Amino acid sequence: MVGKVLGLAVADQASLLRLAILGLISIVAIGSRLYSVIRFESVIHEFDPWFNYRTTRYLVNNGFDKFWNWFDETAWYPLGRVVGGTLYPGIMVTSAAIYNALHLLNIPVDIRNVCVFLAPVFSALTAVATYYLGKEVKNATAGLLAAAFIGIAPGYISRSVAGSYDNEGIAIFLLVFTFFLWLRAVRLGSALYGALAATAYFYMVSAWGGYVFIINLIPLHVFALLAMGRYSNRLYVAYSTFYALGTLASMQIPFVGFQPTFTSEHMAAMGTFGLIQLVAFTHYLRALMPAGHFQTLLRAAVAMLFALGAGGLVLLTMRGVIAPWTGRFYSLWDTGYAKVHIPIIASVSEHQPTAWPNFFFDLNLLMLLLPAGIYFSFRELTDNHVFLILYSIFAAYFAGVMVRLILTLTPIVCVMAGIAMANVFETYLDFRGMTAQTTGAGDTTEDAKAPATSAAAAAAASVAASVPPGSPARPALGKRLYAYFPKAVVMVNFMYFLFMFQLHCSWITSSAYSSPSVVLASRAPDGSQHIIDDFREAYYWLRKNTPQDARVLSWWDYGYQLAGMADRTTLVDNNTWNNTHIATVGKVLASDEDTAYELARRHDVDYVLVVFGAMLGYSGDDINKFLWMIRIAQGVYPNDVSEQAFFTADGQYSIDDSASPTMKASLMHKLCYYRFNEVMGAQGFDRVRKQKLPSNVELHNFAEAYTTENWLVRIYKVKDLDSLGRSHRAADAFNGPRPAAPRRVPF
Amino acid sequence: MRALLTLLLHLLLAAAAAAATSSRGVVRSGLVNTNVIRTVDLRALPAVKEQVGVVVQNEHDSKAYKSYVVVVSAAKRDSLAHLSVRERKSGVELEVTKLGSEDDADGNGGAQLYQASFSHALQPGEKISLNVDYVFLNTVAPRPAAVGQAENQGWEWADDVLVQSVYSTKKQKTVVRTRGDIRDFTQIAAGGGATKDKKAVTFGPFTDGDARDEPGLGGMRAEVRFTDNAEQVEALTHRREYFVSHWADDLNVLEHYALRNRGPGIDGDFDKVKQTVSRFMKARDNFVKLLLVKVPAAARNLYVVDEIGNVSTSAVTGRHRPKGEQPFKVMQLKPRYPLAGGWNYTWWHGYSVPLGGYLKVDPTRRSRHMLRVPFIGAITASSAQSEMVPLTAFDSQNVAISNYELRITLPEGAADIDVRTPFDVDGVSMQPTSYYFDSTGRTVVVIEQRRVSPGTSNAHVLVTYSYSAGSLWQKPLVIASVLLVVFALASVLSRMRMGLSSTVPGPMARMGKKSSKTE
Repeated sequence: MVGKVLGLAVADQASLLRLAILGLISIVAIGSRLYSVIRFESVIHEFDPWFNYRTTRYLVNNGFDKFWNWFDETAWYPLGRVVGGTLYPGIMVTSAAIYNALHLLNIPVDIRNVCVFLAPVFSALTAVATYYLGKEVKNATAGLLAAAFIGIAPGYISRSVAGSYDNEGIAIFLLVFTFFLWLRAVRLGSALYGALAATAYFYMVSAWGGYVFIINLIPLHVFALLAMGRYSNRLYVAYSTFYALGTLASMQIPFVGFQPTFTSEHMAAMGTFGLIQLVAFTHYLRALMPAGHFQTLLRAAVAMLFALGAGGLVLLTMRGVIAPWTGRFYSLWDTGYAKVHIPIIASVSEHQPTAWPNFFFDLNLLMLLLPAGIYFSFRELTDNHVFLILYSIFAAYFAGVMVRLILTLTPIVCVMAGIAMANVFETYLDFRGMTAQTTGAGDTTEDAKAPATSAAAAAAASVAASVPPGSPARPALGKRLYAYFPKAVVMVNFMYFLFMFQLHCSWITSSAYSSPSVVLASRAPDGSQHIIDDFREAYYWLRKNTPQDARVLSWWDYGYQLAGMADRTTLVDNNTWNNTHIATVGKVLASDEDTAYELARRHDVDYVLVVFGAMLGYSGDDINKFLWMIRIAQGVYPNDVSEQAFFTADGQYSIDDSASPTMKASLMHKLCYYRFNEVMGAQGFDRVRKQKLPSNVELHNFAEAYTTENWLVRIYKVKDLDSLGRSHRAADAFNGPRPAAPRRVPF
Repeated sequence: MRALLTLLLHLLLAAAAAAATSSRGVVRSGLVNTNVIRTVDLRALPAVKEQVGVVVQNEHDSKAYKSYVVVVSAAKRDSLAHLSVRERKSGVELEVTKLGSEDDADGNGGAQLYQASFSHALQPGEKISLNVDYVFLNTVAPRPAAVGQAENQGWEWADDVLVQSVYSTKKQKTVVRTRGDIRDFTQIAAGGGATKDKKAVTFGPFTDGDARDEPGLGGMRAEVRFTDNAEQVEALTHRREYFVSHWADDLNVLEHYALRNRGPGIDGDFDKVKQTVSRFMKARDNFVKLLLVKVPAAARNLYVVDEIGNVSTSAVTGRHRPKGEQPFKVMQLKPRYPLAGGWNYTWWHGYSVPLGGYLKVDPTRRSRHMLRVPFIGAITASSAQSEMVPLTAFDSQNVAISNYELRITLPEGAADIDVRTPFDVDGVSMQPTSYYFDSTGRTVVVIEQRRVSPGTSNAHVLVTYSYSAGSLWQKPLVIASVLLVVFALASVLSRMRMGLSSTVPGPMARMGKKSSKTE
């Protein structure tokens, strides 16, 4: 029974099983992220991925040097954008490297497909990295469970489905991998692993702004260990290596530059570095001095150094040498901060505070296992477990502040859940007290589930083998049942939980996270899928039927998509680096037609694009975002735009005939509802706002250039001045009212 | 002899130059056009089919003539897609050669000359009737250039009143036939003048006396304006690619198109309301909404993609099998947006067919393979509101191709490649390329042709190449040996002891420990 299988010894069997399971987890991790490709197509999703995709294409086509020095004059017209210096190049370089490697093998793969499938492939790597992390902090069982969890946890899938070509796609892998290397460096006191951790950290810095999380969490870990009196030479070696190399490496990324030396976000790491030097020095001194002298010296030195350090920090911050905390940072502590001070951050849905159901939605069972994992970590508190606990607490807090940060919480939750589940398995699948015959039949299935308890299993198996079959040592049936029953009940329960978890994950992945948002889908009454492709219809129209240098004004949400799909110049995009420019665009859309026309002409705008969901009932349209545009515009132009003026007298946000005059005069309102009532008929109403349509919308200075099939996107051309140099509204007013043209549609 | 020929050529060129600069200037040649009837057929737009029936007489006292020179004027030479000369009675096609090079255009006022060789020399006093067939593409322009979305489309045909020739012409007339109603045409006082007869306009007949009396007649333009609501689409570029795979028994076909609707643009603003309403009312408008592509009935794995992803609004019909044709299916491609006049649309689509239907092995030499594939595919544009477009739509051939490229990628190891095209093309070349795991690379046959005349969809290209059984196994062997080398390397590396110190257990030591545990 315990003999060799396939000619392999037990330990090799276990390692083969581990490999096979890890392989299967990788396949599941990749597979469950492909819903979007199967349901829709191999397409880049959302907004930011379009920018990444576009820059990757640029990198592949033009080479690294040009990419590094790329000044993109088609974005932020007329300012332009230094692309090479304002992005995290990690993901583009990764894709380009894969692309070039494949082409070296003469595999003519399209760069788009590399980009689309990058995140799923990296999620498989994340699972492997999580396995090693779990193995590092507990054992292979915990590692495999954690890997399985992170493979399918919706909290991570939400950012890594095929087509979601964003920094997070590779950054989570790097986050987990850096932490794994760090923990191993601390455990072994190895400069090699410290250096490897620094390398992984460098890759992380190049890939995602979230690297700040690492560079704060690791010093925090070190600080906590120091505070707990757990200083060791291993820790000193690990941190000194990591910090020195990691910081130098991170400064090579132009977008980061010298920030590690003067911004507040990086000060903790630097301070900890200084501290650990002092502590190390103290330890050295203590070895040389008598205890009494040492105590006095220590107290004096600590007090002095603390005062000096804190004073220096405050001074430097006040002098502006150390950059003050940014708004985004404040919003991490005060969730109401952004709404008041930086509407542009608050207007993004993923920056909202997390609602409780979101945790359950994204983590399900794992959420319940997290406290158990923390408990188990406390029980055997090694240096590594301190790290896990710190990570859990901080990530949980940040995840509560901002929806998108559930992403950083997910890996630790998976690891903690893995630890908790591994403990459950070890306790309830431990049959060492039991007799041989029953184990033979009973644990084969569970053994497959948790083969990584190989040591225990092997031990149990050897015990089993030593008892000859059919021996008289068989206890009474009742006694056996008594021994098994509780274990069976607990295991059945947990198995049920795990199955439900798997079901939940698949369901969430397929229903919530696999929509590209570029392409919309609706169900016909007969259940067949109907694709609504208005966005690409409009973008492709722009791409093919407007001059190459045409400038398109739209709200910033569509900037990256416009650049990527329509290949036209935009005024603002999702980079949102220039609030004034965005506010100007908001002002154009919120002003009356004449003001807007003048502004648009001054900015050389050729086309104006609005997204309008009233026909389909698409609630994410520009009229619903309009309030944010107004707020952002008001922040910069308080004299020209006033939010109050857009509400009716009784405070309603309405668009029909009862709307406020400012609302009805605004360009946004006009562009959206222009002639819309003619196609909807007299009874027509706005399916998003559930209001009647405005009955009379006049437009003079802008001409309809294209409207998509479902009216989702409307594009207008900014007319030239007429031959007398007047705006068309002035000309129309001079010519008198238009004859009652047969505009009415028989419906 | 050669010198004489060159001399003759120079003479002719000089003559042509004279002909082009002043249309009354003719060569002092013994050949005379006694009667010329030009029929311009505008019923298959965007292709303009022009037939010039000419009776040629040798009025020279003694000299016999071996050839006749045909002129394509400067304005039209860049839209010529096809030219052939036949003897009217026997129907025998004469051999036509181009005179002078492309760059030589200045020499003869931009006109291009072609020389048709008689089957036997034309003796003094002898007569011969010739039919010269031209096909021009995209020469008819929309007039007015912009109309309302649902208004009738107007077009204008314009050309010289008199047929250009290097010989003197005694009598000639031109008949222009259209598909739609004629709105307007140039009034001419001289000679037979211009007359309209339902859907045809006749200019002439004019005698050489008319041309002398009316000096303006020679340079005069004849114009016909007419209504024609049929779709006219220009394929600015079209590329068809074949990928031959012996392993998969698969012929992969890929077609790139960049189309432009030649119709009149929209007068005023784009009117979505009107467009939506006419869609619901099934009323006619000028948007091209559907593109129909014929694919073989055996086609599988069909897809339609453009620069930003799938075009999910397409469908495939069932099998059709008209008499005397290969069975086929129709791909109904709906562009992302309806194409108004002047709008562009670019996309590509592809499919696979079993290779067996296209590849034959030479029974005498087993390694010799013959690949016979269509020169071009059939596509038609439709502005119908319904997707149920009858198959007769394909007869309209309303997509004119301005630049065509055919690429045939042969399998790796194909050698001794011989290409036979159905007619003379602008260029045939071979390019090396590499695909999936290729080690030595493969050859692409590239055939280029500007302006493909409609009606060539039945033409085939024949590519013959040698492909041995060894080449078939080349790729699996290469991949297998590479993998073998990689595994061997990995195996060796894993058995090597890394590091300097022997106290740290290397992989070997650990392996040893492991195995000792199992013992």
